[in-house]
Amino acid sequence: MEIINGFRFKHSYPVRGLFMRVSNSKFGMMLSLPGAFVLFLWVVVPLGILVVTSFLRYDNIHPVVFGGLKNYEYVFNHRIFWLSFKNTVIFCAGVTSLSLVVSLVLAHSLSRINRFASIFRSLSMFPWAVPMVVSGFMWAQMFNPSFGVINDFLLRTGIISKPMDIFGNPALAMIGVIFADAWTRIPFMTIIILAGLESIDPSLYEAARVDGADSIQIFRRISLPLNKKAIMTGVIITTIFSFRTIDTIFSMTFGGPAKGTYTFGFYILDNIYRFFNFGVAGAMSIILLILLLIIGSVFIYQTLRIEER
Amino acid sequence: MVLSVLLFIILIPIGWTLLTSLKSLKEAFQTPPTYFPDKLTLEAYRKVLTETPVPRYVLNSLIYALATAAFVLSAGTFAAYGLSKYPYRGSNTILISFLVTRILPPLSLLLPFYMIFRYFGMIDTKISVIVFTIYLSYPLAVWILKSFFDTYPTDLMEAGLIDGCSRIGVLFRIVLPGVASGIAAVAIITFLWTWQEFLAPYLFLNSDLHKPITVGVYYFVGDELTYWNTISAAAMLASVPGILFFLIAQKYIVKGLTSGGVKE
Repeated sequence: MEIINGFRFKHSYPVRGLFMRVSNSKFGMMLSLPGAFVLFLWVVVPLGILVVTSFLRYDNIHPVVFGGLKNYEYVFNHRIFWLSFKNTVIFCAGVTSLSLVVSLVLAHSLSRINRFASIFRSLSMFPWAVPMVVSGFMWAQMFNPSFGVINDFLLRTGIISKPMDIFGNPALAMIGVIFADAWTRIPFMTIIILAGLESIDPSLYEAARVDGADSIQIFRRISLPLNKKAIMTGVIITTIFSFRTIDTIFSMTFGGPAKGTYTFGFYILDNIYRFFNFGVAGAMSIILLILLLIIGSVFIYQTLRIEER
Repeated sequence: MVLSVLLFIILIPIGWTLLTSLKSLKEAFQTPPTYFPDKLTLEAYRKVLTETPVPRYVLNSLIYALATAAFVLSAGTFAAYGLSKYPYRGSNTILISFLVTRILPPLSLLLPFYMIFRYFGMIDTKISVIVFTIYLSYPLAVWILKSFFDTYPTDLMEAGLIDGCSRIGVLFRIVLPGVASGIAAVAIITFLWTWQEFLAPYLFLNSDLHKPITVGVYYFVGDELTYWNTISAAAMLASVPGILFFLIAQKYIVKGLTSGGVKE
């Protein structure tokens, strides 16, 4: 056996072709360094610009000068920042928990059927196929107080007595956007949980059933504890993504009413697009980035641990 | 049973939008709403396709999605293959930087990209959008591709080498055909991500000429009136590629996503 740079070959053989004099590790570099350079150009460069900008007084009115931590100071002392922080946390927690509950039920029922399994799986992926902006429009229409299907249904079944206008009430609007956003995230969470479920040894279920366990006991004693890792992955990824995307809120409520659904994204966007205060937008972007790196490092740590095995 | 009920509820938004798109404007605004249209009409679709810029929006979306997928695949395949099969000193660090990039919020990088494009006078051009969507999908695409190459048996590569194939020949003649379904999955995922992207084109583009369908849906949002039947028709058009892909290639997409995947 011959080992060249950690790459195992059982036999030695003549290497042929244009790059025949190049060793395997050099060959690997030749293949992957252009791709790594793309990553550098596309990510490291903008990141550098962002970091620098966040320390500048860059408001497109005054000349650009170094401002130190002024932008950060401004952001942390700004009432709207803390409002958007609160909204982001509520939104994120709502979306993650709602999609977790639905995905758990969906994944467990999907794992149990045998007939038409592929069709049912395709159908359950459909919300993923809808662009998030479009999802916001779909739900806005369904929540509409005069011709929306949700109000009509709740009125007919007598759950509410007069139409509710979620676009006029900040708390209701938040619930509305949580529904719209969670809806688009259910498919992904479901396939992660489903993939985990399928790796559980089926003989465990049989043994439990022979011992007379009912479905709820099986879920609590087998499916849930043995699938903890997949569920955690789904939760972390959904948390990260609901933290940083605003597409559904954008088309559904645009941060309103009364800034009731105004999240981090709107704060950044407003500072770029409406106030042209790039310095503040930069500081805000960095804050968002750091918050997500903290959440995300847990995820990276887990992924690398899985990779190692 | 539970599954059918749950799936029915999950599919309501799409179903309701489909039904609304088949209503006349008057019926779409009716209180209380009709659950099934009294009069089925394709009026909204005719209007959207002939009297509005929607066909151009769809074409633009296609251009963005195909260009991004082509670039990401051609740059990413070689990188992923090299990182997976020919490791070298430092290749692990590069790999981890691909993974870390994945959790950087695109929202945070909107500003620097906006500044770069403004500096080079690229605001309101197609290139600006493509550059940004490449950033969105490239790191993850490489990561997924790498996980596909990882599962490809080295024995088969070796057989090719012994038979006198060059290392590049092995990649093109043996490995790539072997992981074709994985590459197709990455192509589809990249295509869909780009197709669904909204904020970047919204921020970078002003003129109708370059807008993709996700931004184009706003064409129907008026100051006083939102044309719900036509907006629904446009919404259905925006969702069609995704739905088609999930019907045809659900298995591969799911495999790609779960092997290394994260969805935006």
